[in-house]
Amino acid sequence: MKLGNTRGALLAAVLAALPFGVMPAQAAGTLTISSPQDPGSWDPIDTFLVNWSSVATNIYDGLVYRGPDTKIVPGLATEWEVLDEGKRLRFKLREGVKFHNGEDFNADAVKFTFDRLLGEEGKKGPQRSNYAVIEKVDVIDDFTVDLILTQPDPVLITKLAGYGAMIVPPKYVTENEEDFVNANPVGTGPFKMASYEPKVGVKLEAFADHWGGAPKLDAVEYRFISEPATAVAELQAGRVDIVIPPTIPISMVPTIEADDKLEIVSVTSPTVYALRFNTGNGITADERVRKAMIMAVDREAIIDAVLGGQAKQIASFQSELSFGYDPEMEPLPFDQAKAKELLKEAGVAPGTAVQIDIRGNDATFGEVTQAVASYLQMAGLNATIKPYETNVLLNDIIPQGKTGEMFQQSWGGWTLDYDNTAYLMYHTGERWNPYDSDAELDALLESQRPMIDVDAREKVLQEIAAYAADRALEMPLYNLNALYGVNKRVKNFIAPPDSRMRLNEVEVE
Amino acid sequence: MASFLLKRILQAVFVVFVVTLTVSFAIRLTGDPALMLSQGAGSVTEEDLANIRQALGLNEPFITQYWDFIKGLFVGDFGRSFLGGTSVSMLISKALPATLALAFSSMFVSIAISIPLGVHAAVNKGKTADQVIRILSLVGLSFPNFWLAIMLVLVFSVMLQWLPPSGMGGFASYIMPAVTMGVILTATNVRLVRTAMLETLRSQYIQVARAKGLSETKVLYKHALRNCAIPLITYFGLQFGGLLGGIVVIERVFNWPGLGTLAFDAVAGRDYPVLQAVITVLSLLIIGINLLVDIAYGLVDPRIRNR
Repeated sequence: MKLGNTRGALLAAVLAALPFGVMPAQAAGTLTISSPQDPGSWDPIDTFLVNWSSVATNIYDGLVYRGPDTKIVPGLATEWEVLDEGKRLRFKLREGVKFHNGEDFNADAVKFTFDRLLGEEGKKGPQRSNYAVIEKVDVIDDFTVDLILTQPDPVLITKLAGYGAMIVPPKYVTENEEDFVNANPVGTGPFKMASYEPKVGVKLEAFADHWGGAPKLDAVEYRFISEPATAVAELQAGRVDIVIPPTIPISMVPTIEADDKLEIVSVTSPTVYALRFNTGNGITADERVRKAMIMAVDREAIIDAVLGGQAKQIASFQSELSFGYDPEMEPLPFDQAKAKELLKEAGVAPGTAVQIDIRGNDATFGEVTQAVASYLQMAGLNATIKPYETNVLLNDIIPQGKTGEMFQQSWGGWTLDYDNTAYLMYHTGERWNPYDSDAELDALLESQRPMIDVDAREKVLQEIAAYAADRALEMPLYNLNALYGVNKRVKNFIAPPDSRMRLNEVEVE
Repeated sequence: MASFLLKRILQAVFVVFVVTLTVSFAIRLTGDPALMLSQGAGSVTEEDLANIRQALGLNEPFITQYWDFIKGLFVGDFGRSFLGGTSVSMLISKALPATLALAFSSMFVSIAISIPLGVHAAVNKGKTADQVIRILSLVGLSFPNFWLAIMLVLVFSVMLQWLPPSGMGGFASYIMPAVTMGVILTATNVRLVRTAMLETLRSQYIQVARAKGLSETKVLYKHALRNCAIPLITYFGLQFGGLLGGIVVIERVFNWPGLGTLAFDAVAGRDYPVLQAVITVLSLLIIGINLLVDIAYGLVDPRIRNR
């Protein structure tokens, strides 16, 4: 490190001494990224796709910013305070910021953005309910705004760092046709849109006037490549610098690692996997059976053997990034003897059939389930796997309560807050909770929602996780890492857990 | 002739109607696009989903949705993609030329290989050359094109780095996809050329040509091949239709921005308008080619015309 600095200083001195600028003042270049999906529109209120975000995080700014370290830091707002017991948030805005088209950023832009999101236009998209707690935006002066809330929402500040809360230029959005705005986004971010070819790719170029300083790259090119083998081939051929998740299958990791020019960057992601139980009927209505089934499966061995170690075992249905995660919590141990004992106690005859419903298109999880099934077999249960087309499983089977004894649930909210998982999984009547109804759990879930005391709320969330584990509502499996395939010529790239990458500090050799 | 044409066109309209009706109906059975659109959201509510369905027009009865699609068809408006509201006609207008370019290149590759090989096999019927060509074509026929594509990418893009592994660009980007498709077609075409040539070579005018003392090349390519051109062209024409179906897989492997990729993404994302449009365009193309072949037949043979 020390040596590097000295060398850098020396180089700078030599460069400064040169009579002519033979080299550009900063290293520049183009970075090429393979992204699995074209979101179709770049308007922040149109989509909730993570592949929108992996591009748009560079085009837009929010009032606040959340980077790879998952900390909330100032964005277009320099500071903020919580007033009226959490029902009013006051933001001081950054001055002198311009949109890519030259429009000034100010309080009116903030008001316009949220009025639009919460009005008729936002209604057409998937994001409105995430921000529905905002009653209105009051402009105090040119650079001060108040968000008035119907009730306190501790997760709102995180939500302001992404998606629908990205600030858009009022004049530009009002004066242009919707189609034009969708294809030609304008924000205040470090890169501006240079060209967009639907289904093919997007080119961004550096916005030198960005308030955070000019980006180090000249340009970023995204190519939409949905087939993993093709994306990896492009990476190996040196035509793509970064392949972003969720593209690289675990089976291709060794291929990439074997290449001197490439590396796999593996980071903790919010994505968690569980096999949840039908707690309503059948043998899994009995808590002892559920616990027995969990204990019958060696989850650690599955992670090593099937997932190549690219995952961590979980004790509750959340990753360690999640607010509400309890590092003290331990998963039920792997104990076949105890499992058999519990099954016997519950009066389950050996050879009883259980059915596991999974998504048919997820090959890796298919292998995981096969391993689970054979462990259950060893404990005396006759497990069969039923693969469904993903959409059918999510639409028709789970919400209608038509699953077998167990069903796959993969989850990963970008807000990294356990409420976003727990409420939807465990609260009575929720879409993803077709079987269970527990008044005590409902009360816990409802109690934390309006809490503005961070520590108190965290405690409740941890309590919820412990309660769910105690009742064995699911077999928590693992938290899968996000895998990035990266060419080593890329420098200063910090892989974010949620694919929302900001590339202003990145350089290429 | 006019009544023959009218009859065929009415048939074509009926076929498009049945195909689009089936596809539109079937894809609606497979899941909710609103849920696909809000996948990253996590805390999406039933109210959100209802709003999205409303905005996409999914609350209308199926017949209304289908009727709107048909009405649009007459003015060339395929509606808007569920994903981002892009104009479907615009997407098609970009994807169709890409697919046609790939299809024509594949046909070109196939014809360029299969004609000389087929002729050679026919001339040397029963000899070693014939056996080798026939076995090779059997091998070509048994290749899964997906596998062949991946092998080509591994060798020419990853190992040798001569050709781009994917995408549509300059001449180099056409080579691997066109060869993959072309090789599969060649297997059948070689056999076809061989059979057609064998028949022609038995004709008396070939003997006459030889008797005149013409060079063997002239006899084969000028006299014999020309005479089997009509059935061959017909067959290649029909094959073109089949090719469009097989191109979906190849386009995906090579990330070719054509109708196949569009269809694949549309199925995965439950993008009804895009899928309906792609299927309609593909069936129109296939029907159009068949119609052309029929008309050509009718022109040549009055018996077909008057049937």
